[in-house]
Amino acid sequence: MRKRSLVIATLAASVALTLSACAPSAPPEASSSAAAAGNDTLTIATTTDVVNYNPLIGNSRSDYWITNLMYPHLMSIDDTGKKTPELATEWGYVDDTTGYYVIRDDMKWSDGEPVTAEDVAWTMNAVKKDAPSGTFYGQLANFDSATAVSDTRVEVKLSKPDSSIIEEIGFWGNVVPKHVFEKAASVAEFPNDGSDGGWVGAGPFTLTKVQVGQSYELDRVEDYPLVDGGTPIPAKVVYRVFPDVNTEILALQSGEVDAIANALPPAQVDQLKNSPGITVEEVTGLGYAHMTYNMQNPDLAKLEVRQALAHAVDYDAIRTVVLQDQAVSTGSSPLMPVLSDYYDDSLTEYEFDTDKARELMEKAGYTADANGNFPVSFRLIYSLQDSVTSQWAQLVKDSAAEAGITIELQGTERNTYLAQTNKGDFDIYAGNFAIMDDPVTNFTLAYLPGGAINYTYVDDPQLNDLIAQGAVTSDQDEKIDIMRQAAKIVHDNVYDNIMYTQNLFFAHSDKWDGFITQPSELLSIVNPESLASAHKVQ
Amino acid sequence: MPRSSFILRRLGRAVFTIWFAVTVTFLLLRLLPGDPALAVASPNMTDDARAALLTQYGLDKPLIVQYGLYLIQLVQGNFGVSFTQSIPVMDVLLQRLPWTLLLTVSALVLTTAIGIPLGVLAASKRGGFLDKLVQVIGVTGQSIFVPSIGVLLLFVFGLTLRWLPIGGAYDTDAYGAAWYGSVASHLILPAVSLMLIQLGSYVLTMRSTLIDALGEDYVTLAKANGLPYRRILWKHALRNALLPTTTLIGLQLGFLVGGAVLTETVFAYPGIGRGIYEAVTQLDFPVLQGAFLLLAITVVLANMLTDIVYGFLDPRVKTS
Repeated sequence: MRKRSLVIATLAASVALTLSACAPSAPPEASSSAAAAGNDTLTIATTTDVVNYNPLIGNSRSDYWITNLMYPHLMSIDDTGKKTPELATEWGYVDDTTGYYVIRDDMKWSDGEPVTAEDVAWTMNAVKKDAPSGTFYGQLANFDSATAVSDTRVEVKLSKPDSSIIEEIGFWGNVVPKHVFEKAASVAEFPNDGSDGGWVGAGPFTLTKVQVGQSYELDRVEDYPLVDGGTPIPAKVVYRVFPDVNTEILALQSGEVDAIANALPPAQVDQLKNSPGITVEEVTGLGYAHMTYNMQNPDLAKLEVRQALAHAVDYDAIRTVVLQDQAVSTGSSPLMPVLSDYYDDSLTEYEFDTDKARELMEKAGYTADANGNFPVSFRLIYSLQDSVTSQWAQLVKDSAAEAGITIELQGTERNTYLAQTNKGDFDIYAGNFAIMDDPVTNFTLAYLPGGAINYTYVDDPQLNDLIAQGAVTSDQDEKIDIMRQAAKIVHDNVYDNIMYTQNLFFAHSDKWDGFITQPSELLSIVNPESLASAHKVQ
Repeated sequence: MPRSSFILRRLGRAVFTIWFAVTVTFLLLRLLPGDPALAVASPNMTDDARAALLTQYGLDKPLIVQYGLYLIQLVQGNFGVSFTQSIPVMDVLLQRLPWTLLLTVSALVLTTAIGIPLGVLAASKRGGFLDKLVQVIGVTGQSIFVPSIGVLLLFVFGLTLRWLPIGGAYDTDAYGAAWYGSVASHLILPAVSLMLIQLGSYVLTMRSTLIDALGEDYVTLAKANGLPYRRILWKHALRNALLPTTTLIGLQLGFLVGGAVLTETVFAYPGIGRGIYEAVTQLDFPVLQGAFLLLAITVVLANMLTDIVYGFLDPRVKTS
């Protein structure tokens, strides 16, 4: 008996030792002294961890928000989609195949090195060479090379004329410190995880402490010329991870966090607007939600069928019920009202009219059966992770049924949805894009044959010509006219069914003020200028 | 059968189970729709660039070659490099595993510490009010959905009463002794949530096995010999009734780990369950393979220990 007890005790001790070896241990105390009086910490909730600290690879929202505070863009964007200066003060074209940027001369990396045109040119060339998976590389299709012709001027050689690329690279691409990133064999595989002595950035804050799964702490950079006064106001910005949006909101209400970085779900907006101690900011959306009809399907290749489907959607109900009146119609045009220079109000939304839809189906040669149903059935795919689309997909199905058109819903998890989309394995695709800032780029991707997001599989010679003209036209008025003609073709032929632009709402504690909103969820109230300007209410 | 042989057989089975889990995980991941390049690439990425990413990840090789390379890598103790984070998988996992162990072990301790006495209480007062109450608690506990109970607990104890923190594993500005206090306060709600969903099984199992044990001849004999009821209950009947509960602990550990994925999400707890969820969304095969391997090892070890402890508790097991 005693021997048995001894064995059990030994086993128990082994388990305890194993567990204690694995047990979480306390972090070493920070060596720096406490923040000076008046130096506040702004705590922001996000739903995901940082996946990658390399801004040239990063793909999650949290990656973008955190690396955006360290690695400057050449340009930012205003509420009408126009590009505004950030690191670059001037940009344009020397000739059809040469662009240029002039950058500020007063920016420094956090290790004291100046931010130079060489950093900008090196970043672009490295991205072109190593092809990291982020959005930046996707903008470089017509990019050939970049050269720093002085400390503040970069010239970009293009492989063919492209009147959008200079602004698109400027907006989407971060600039990284050459002297840090060049040590990596490839920027596509460089984790930039701070394991080599921390992070070197040139934004208002620099990452100093990471607690994976829990928080990301960034310290203020004292000298940041892009904010009024030259110094960011909060001493620290801490991103805390709350994967569940309900927990995130509880944390804001309890005061554990000061702001939420993610856009609020539409159904939560009114409730939070009426919650004491919470301020809700509205931010212009720069993207759209849409449905595309796969023209590889012989039924959907018929214009009348696409038109019938477009007239069998109750857009108002979707915007009112699902979006809680937080979305605006684009007139069924890919040139949304937010792009005010391009927007064409002569294009109007497809009218919800099931009788008209029936007429169009009959005109296309279909005859309804005794129950009023046409002999067609279309499979509509959407991502189950997209709760808003999941809701309106059901409304689309119901209203199409009124017109005698059967729609079979196929909601799947995101990766299956992406695989189906990539293979063209759908009749109707439902989804959305967060930022569609440049019409020429968007039309190139969405409506040219082989375009990465040409989910309609459209190949219309007239449309192709117009997009090609838009891509090489540098005169702004002429370009707007060309793109409006292209949008009319898309609208009239239902090559895309743009349903709405959703405005976004962001919540923060009313103890904080001074946020500067920028369009889209990527920038919202957590853009570098906003966080550098945020301050506690006195 | 000698004890050493008994333990060796258990070890052999454990190794086989782990190999099986590794193989199934490897194959299942590759049967998933989509591919990792598609999951992480931006919409404007060309097909050529996506293909280059697959080559970079080593997914362009035949399946059997990928499997062989993976096994060789594992034997060398190398879990590979995360597709999305470009850092060793072991680093990714070791940042998170301690928190999951802390949460699941705490929940297990809580569950057994409360579940066994409640089961004993119900069995000893069979048919009475307490018995009925405990049965209701047991059945209700088995029907609870983790996110629902989690948000409710957070709302009551975090937001309304402000007794406990909302989310996370500790305060970021806590150091030394305060840090341990902070860890404890953050652990309470997730551990109680996990405990509540497990409690029913323990209570009901304990109750029914103890009622059976109390009907055995040796209990009647003990009563006839004039032994006090308390002694019969705790010393004789309970020891026999504990055998199925011991098995249950081993079996439930797997469910606990599964439940931890949801619990960690609701309570923003930085454990491996959340890591798995994030890796699934990005189809980060190396991280998923590593995480499932670690979890398989944990569960297999727990079951092996249960078997061994069972052997000590019931000598018949060793000879069977």
